Amino acid sequence: MPTRVLVVDDSKISRKMIIKSLPKDWDIEISEACNGKEALDGYHAGKAEVMFLDLTMPVMDGYEALEILKKEGLNTFVIVVSADIQPKARERVISLGAMDFIKKPIDTDKVNEVLKKFGII
Amino acid sequence: MNMAALSQDQTETLQEVVNIAMGQAGDSLARILDVFVELSVPRISLVEVAKVVPTVCDLLDDCDDIFAVRQAFHNNEQLRGESIIIYGEAGCSDLADLMGYNTDEITADDFRTESELLLDVSNILSGACLNGIANQLKTELSYSAPSIMAQHAALQDVMSHENLPWNKALLVEVNFGLENSDFKSHLLILLTEEAIDSLGHSLDMFLENL
Repeated sequence: MPTRVLVVDDSKISRKMIIKSLPKDWDIEISEACNGKEALDGYHAGKAEVMFLDLTMPVMDGYEALEILKKEGLNTFVIVVSADIQPKARERVISLGAMDFIKKPIDTDKVNEVLKKFGII
Repeated sequence: MNMAALSQDQTETLQEVVNIAMGQAGDSLARILDVFVELSVPRISLVEVAKVVPTVCDLLDDCDDIFAVRQAFHNNEQLRGESIIIYGEAGCSDLADLMGYNTDEITADDFRTESELLLDVSNILSGACLNGIANQLKTELSYSAPSIMAQHAALQDVMSHENLPWNKALLVEVNFGLENSDFKSHLLILLTEEAIDSLGHSLDMFLENL
């Protein structure tokens, strides 16, 4: 059964870049969301065994989405993919339960490394 | 005359390119000030220069007195423009504190100190942001020295047509705020019509290589 992957970013280009960086032989079912609120909707609909989450988004940003997910028990692997590369941004998302942080522009090798590190692939 | 314009795909690509560059600029500022820098979603719009003031007023929420620093840039093709960083007056003393300036004792050199401070910060933000954009679009930019455009001035006076020698402006607006501070800055990037066409071509190349 394919792994359900949710890609959350307000930028269509960025979502495209993230999807293109995923391993070609990874059996997945991809859904997309444009902000934190849509990410939570996708999560509640069971579309997010793995979530790639941007931070700076309109409507609801990635931090707020992570806080809510944490309160709800966080039953998903969240990998933050963000242009906000401040060390404190990384610390904050890890403290909110994100598994890892990948800086933009996203790099295929880094995605592979993170997915392998957590036994996702 | 037809307005030079970017397609929707080009605009979205530029928004993401600016987003990445803005993150690099924010990181540079955060490391120097040792404070968390709050970033906004970049906004991009193409406007006639005559409409820059009302558009920027809308973007800034209010139009109190401001400080502004400008810096011209160009590459060896047609990309040519100017960055303008606008600071609200309220947050500048917070910034001075963070940079280690003594804001308790007002001296005759205050204006000079303030100018140095704002030029320093502008160099960091503008340089990191523009370099970030240029690197992604595989071009190199040359810069003029940044200069103070206005101090304690009204936005309407600063952004007058006489001060902006462009027909139209691609307003690329990114905001930087400092956590627990009133400091806010707004970086505007203004481009010539020819530069907008050149930028569109660079964005197409970037998209093709995705």
